[in-house]
Amino acid sequence: MIPKIVNLYKRIDIHWVVTPVLILASAFVTNAIIMLLCHYNPLEAYEAAVSGAFGNSRKFGETLVKSTPFLMAGLSVAMAFRCGIWNIGAEGQFLIGALVATWFGTKLAPFFPETPWIAVPVCLGIATLAGGIWGLIPAVLKVARGVNEVISTIMLNYVAIHLVGMMIDGGPLQEASQRGPQSDRIAEWVFLPRLFPPHRIHLGIVIAVLLAIILTFILFRTAFGYQLRAVGEGPAAAEAAGISIMHNTLRVFFISGALAGLGGAIELTALTRRLYLNFSPGYGYTAIAVALLAKLNPLVTVAAALLFGALTTGSYSMQRTVGISDKVTFVMQATILLFVIGYGSIQFFRKRASSHSPTE
Amino acid sequence: MAEHILELRNVTKTFGDFVAVDSVDFALQAGEIHAILGENGAGKSTLMNLIYGLYQPSAGRIYVTDREGWRRRLRAKSPRDAIAIGIGMVHQHFMLVENLTVAENIALSLGQSRPVTASDASENGTYKKWLRKFRFKREDAIRITEELSEQFGLAVDPSALVRTLSVGLKQRVEILKALAVDARILILDEPTAVLSPQEVEGFFTILRKLQADSRAIIFISHKMKEVLSISDRITVLRRGKKVYLGPTGELTARELAREMIGEDIEEVERSSDGNSEHKSSDSVLYLSNLTVLGSRNEVAVSDVSLETYRGEIVGIAGVDGNGQRELAEAIMGLRHRESGTISILGTDPKGTKAVRQRGVGYISEDRQTTGVIASFSVTENLLLNVTHLENTARWNVLNQKRKRNTAEQLIADYDIRPPIGGIPAAALSGGNQQKIVLAREISLHPDLLIAVNPTRGLDVNAARYVHENLLVQRAGKKSVLLISTELDEVLLLSDRLFVMSRGKLIEATAQRNDIETLGLLMTGEGL
Repeated sequence: MIPKIVNLYKRIDIHWVVTPVLILASAFVTNAIIMLLCHYNPLEAYEAAVSGAFGNSRKFGETLVKSTPFLMAGLSVAMAFRCGIWNIGAEGQFLIGALVATWFGTKLAPFFPETPWIAVPVCLGIATLAGGIWGLIPAVLKVARGVNEVISTIMLNYVAIHLVGMMIDGGPLQEASQRGPQSDRIAEWVFLPRLFPPHRIHLGIVIAVLLAIILTFILFRTAFGYQLRAVGEGPAAAEAAGISIMHNTLRVFFISGALAGLGGAIELTALTRRLYLNFSPGYGYTAIAVALLAKLNPLVTVAAALLFGALTTGSYSMQRTVGISDKVTFVMQATILLFVIGYGSIQFFRKRASSHSPTE
Repeated sequence: MAEHILELRNVTKTFGDFVAVDSVDFALQAGEIHAILGENGAGKSTLMNLIYGLYQPSAGRIYVTDREGWRRRLRAKSPRDAIAIGIGMVHQHFMLVENLTVAENIALSLGQSRPVTASDASENGTYKKWLRKFRFKREDAIRITEELSEQFGLAVDPSALVRTLSVGLKQRVEILKALAVDARILILDEPTAVLSPQEVEGFFTILRKLQADSRAIIFISHKMKEVLSISDRITVLRRGKKVYLGPTGELTARELAREMIGEDIEEVERSSDGNSEHKSSDSVLYLSNLTVLGSRNEVAVSDVSLETYRGEIVGIAGVDGNGQRELAEAIMGLRHRESGTISILGTDPKGTKAVRQRGVGYISEDRQTTGVIASFSVTENLLLNVTHLENTARWNVLNQKRKRNTAEQLIADYDIRPPIGGIPAAALSGGNQQKIVLAREISLHPDLLIAVNPTRGLDVNAARYVHENLLVQRAGKKSVLLISTELDEVLLLSDRLFVMSRGKLIEATAQRNDIETLGLLMTGEGL
């Protein structure tokens, strides 16, 4: 009996490697079929994609840059989902972070000394805080009134999107020339430093990876992370143990919102340096796929985000060399998400079947 | 009447080493209401699940007379087979789709095993047949529902949403579902447990109508009075064995209670080491006029007062579902109290965390959802208590070495098998999962330990180990509140004995030698 159970344990461990590989293989094969149907050579396309994403250090650097928003939003989603909180609001929290960073960078920065050593931390700090507070709105609704967070966070995404629109299209943050729906460029001393100019690799990448390591430690090595996971995996058992579901819901929503908000601020201060409509091409939604592919493990999220970053840069290259529309990237991302969900539910049902044993 | 519509011969069902049903013979006649009595875990539900095809017998045979009158051996691999041959079951927990209407729910059950009609046979195109399977006609469903409810006097609105119905009406829908597929054998698992006394009366009228239609009914219940008033024959199960079969009225309620609980319980020698006098300073738990509502807003705990002292085990016996769960949850701060006071060591802690920090251990009734987290490892589950967590963490960081050492120690002490801390709790048997809970809750030697059915699912040795630990708590001048459906366990361990029935707590220390009276108290008869 004992060897059998040890085997089972090993099998669970192997799933960590096998499942993502299976998901990716299935997605690549499916997309190859789609490309064949469109009369493209999938091998040629994939070759172009790989060389476009990893071909040389400059290209790889660009892939890292593209991965960062996926990583930050992915960490946000992973933390919330770990606690059983289905926060679909990373998109909105990301935008709020970017909006507050813009406000700071254009309106408040003149009051600060012209050095990035002060302005940048303050800017990222208040953007993080704003994202966290934005995340607390659905948390309070859930705790106080039992509002389903899936609905409230999706709704708040629209609020955030239109709030950005309001501010930069005729609102107080629109550029001084009033020409288009975008903000002024933020002050130079609020720029998040780039590491190897003229490369676009920036400090935000380092921050994001460090956060992934810290969050992994928090989740698996601290009492707080333990409580958070306990609430996610067995809310009734956690509550009976004296772990408050309410407190953990509030905390994790704040953390989740703060991470996404910081992500938005990093993207803005390091890359775009101004806010415009469609600032986020759905990072917050894609992040759900990123986090699920990583099985909600912050460290693995780094790899998953890198994959999605590579898909983005790879698609540019496919477009240039093979002439495939960049829409293929979205098809690719969508198929990966579908396979993530598909394999996820297979495991879910397998788990249920194995835990279903006669008790009385 | 002599014709047997269902017959079980020497049926045995084992789960691992545990014999749930032990060579039981059982025969059901057409047009009879046959009651099955037994304590929790006596094997009633397992027996019914065998008939309904949810389980397959480990040994023995089941024979059924089918609709054409042929006697056949039943080899049901699933309820689908049982339904097809005319066996219907109304579960204690309803199997209804809450967001569909009554008619739609009935149509669903028809879809499962639609009797082949003449019009089906005359269809020549196979594709039409195929289409028919997917066609849902609302009017047909409503018509069928109306016809059935008229025929059996089960009035219910076919287009009402199931979730808007009362519990009594939902039960009608369940019965209609069984009748819609022309079930001739109806298994009713504790059907009156969810009904109010008024609803019970109406329900019995329905049962008599079904009986008049020469359908056979198996009626499972704990409630002696109901069994005596409705059934024709009674079978009593005890620990998987059939111990009595006879016509209703042959034995009195008192004698039946004796059959259920067993005459072979020996009086246990308990060391009564001068606990009879309590100083008020020794009071640990104090409940005064506590009233708690259940999940359906019914009064689950009604005006309960109780005081427990250091160095004693207070036992609460009773049949499942009489408010024990709600009582324990209210003490733990997991359930809102409607009125009354709870005081633990002189204070009224707010919230479960505060209760825990006050030094209260809790072995919950439902280990699957509130005892362990299936996906967490054994080691992690052994931490699942804020006190343990605080002991293991410094500056919020869990001390990995301490965590592992504690786990190894507890795994060894409580003989948790397999002795591997890293595997998920889901991989362990129910008994070993229970040992995790025990190890976690008892090892802290809490001032107050609330143990609800602590030995459920444990083998004899493990159960004895639990009992020893509870007695160690007592010897260490701690207070134990033992809530159990196993009367002999409560008798064995408790210094003072209470019986909980319909939310009321009755002190029965004086009656501890009178098992018949206790049995009657437990079935709500002795008031």
